[in-house]
Amino acid sequence: MEKEQIIKLQRKANDFREETLDMCIDAGTGHVTSSFSCAEILTSLYSGNILKYKSDEPKWDKRDRFILSKGQASPILYVTLANAGFFPKDWLNTFCKKEAKFGVHLQNTVPGVEYSTGSLGHGLGLGAGVTLRAKIDKKNYHTFVLLGDAELQEGSNWESAMFASSYNLNNLTAIVDRNGYGVLGATEDIVKLNPLEKKFRSFGWDVKTIDGHSIKEFYEATNNFRDYKRGKPLVIIAETVKGKGIKSWENKALVHGMAPKGEDAIKLKGELKKYSSRGEYE
Amino acid sequence: MRDTFWDRIYDIAKEDRDLVLIDADMGAPSLDKFREDFNGRQYFSTGIAEQNMIAVAGGLAKEGKKVFTYAIAPFITSRCHEFTKLNCGLMKIPINLVGVGPGFSYDDSGPTHHLTEDISIMRAIPNLEIYCPSDNLIAKRLAKKMYCSENPAYIRLDREILPNLSDQNGISKNREKIQAGFREFGKGDLAIVSTGNMVHTALEVQKYYSDKNIPIGVLDLHQLKPISEEFKKNMSGYKNLVSLEEHLLDGGLGSIIAETIIDNNLLVNLKKRIGLVDYVYAYGGRKNIQELYKIDEKSVINEIDKLIN
Repeated sequence: MEKEQIIKLQRKANDFREETLDMCIDAGTGHVTSSFSCAEILTSLYSGNILKYKSDEPKWDKRDRFILSKGQASPILYVTLANAGFFPKDWLNTFCKKEAKFGVHLQNTVPGVEYSTGSLGHGLGLGAGVTLRAKIDKKNYHTFVLLGDAELQEGSNWESAMFASSYNLNNLTAIVDRNGYGVLGATEDIVKLNPLEKKFRSFGWDVKTIDGHSIKEFYEATNNFRDYKRGKPLVIIAETVKGKGIKSWENKALVHGMAPKGEDAIKLKGELKKYSSRGEYE
Repeated sequence: MRDTFWDRIYDIAKEDRDLVLIDADMGAPSLDKFREDFNGRQYFSTGIAEQNMIAVAGGLAKEGKKVFTYAIAPFITSRCHEFTKLNCGLMKIPINLVGVGPGFSYDDSGPTHHLTEDISIMRAIPNLEIYCPSDNLIAKRLAKKMYCSENPAYIRLDREILPNLSDQNGISKNREKIQAGFREFGKGDLAIVSTGNMVHTALEVQKYYSDKNIPIGVLDLHQLKPISEEFKKNMSGYKNLVSLEEHLLDGGLGSIIAETIIDNNLLVNLKKRIGLVDYVYAYGGRKNIQELYKIDEKSVINEIDKLIN
């Protein structure tokens, strides 16, 4: 991928962060930090020609299926979908309000959203079913499921992981947003997920670990995802920073699920502006 | 009942290649045909993983497959209840859940396999239809009904081999009622409303009173949700009702009847709910457990005697 394209997408990811922050500040709620750790992933998928979709035909049968299992990151997906043209951007102004089309957790009544999520541990199994249907009916769509890392503490994920490899679902790609944090603090200080790569490998998956804020690395990890000679499902462990872009909330416990208010809001907006204009795109 | 149900589904699956069965490591002669003829296209197993089974079913069904899932009843209801709530209640994905062995069907398997609260918890899920057949004739019809429905559904299939109830009350006589989710056996001032295996106990009680020239009716309610208008109308034709179930009273059949009467301003009186007040397990066979809980024939007669004498 050309450097100019990477820079363009990086700028877009930061634009999405800014729109997400504005939307959450305006609503007084929304999971800002969970959204910010996966900004580059969503931007690459939707704005970087990875996913096949038609925003004017959300149910297009040949579309790739994207399932946001970490449904609390809905704010940035809503921003991403609005920018992709799935629905009018002014819907974003209604987030969590009386006239809202959507709220904190993800709703599949919104064009472009496949499933209502927010109950962690649900998305990978749904994705396995969607993928299995493609196998049965010889459909060419690919299924992506974006998981939170603390979400992997839910045992149902591992039931689904076993199932996916047992049925050779090589048309399924899971992405783990490995921001390292749950609500209370670091996952490794609470219930350990490491060694995560080994866990997935032992469950029969191919594993790639990348810097989840590097669009270049995300592209490299997904460049041959439709190569079905690979007999296994693929998981991309995207190492990220929770709250990436707002320095004082990065990797900070107990700001999960919050939107900044008052002076905090002004401060964090300033931090994000500074981050967005830093010019260190790679 | 289980094999009758699955035989019917198998026949439908031969015609409809979009019908898919997923089970959670279940053995049954009627399922062998599925494995042999449909493996890898219309039959899959998730292993002993009911949560994943319901999640995978959600993915398949939303993509257009007609999905039936199958496990032992306590595990397809309680274990994965939240995924069912989200898939079926919230997103209205039409998955069919088939549970074998409600109540004390798995009598000697003990408390982990007893199921006496499934009606309560499953009826709390919006959009979910709930069925409980009392014999093979009804089970076979419900298989087709669930296949044809666009709603999600849960059916509880008794593990015990129960005799068909058509001989004493021809199925044709009840055809319209069956379509409306119930059968009616006999008439009287009082009727016992029951479901599943307990309909057979209700009929034994009916015979006891019939021998004493006291006619009572028995209503076999196999469609527990939604309650049809025809059933409401029929129920209203009685003066008094008694409900009988092998299930906790909290939210079970008796609650359904009481709520239906109140919510629809029906004039019929529900005089007594007979069922389980609390749950304590016991061994020694299903009949012994039923006696212990006072839901056996003799205990039901004692209760009705108090009402009619």
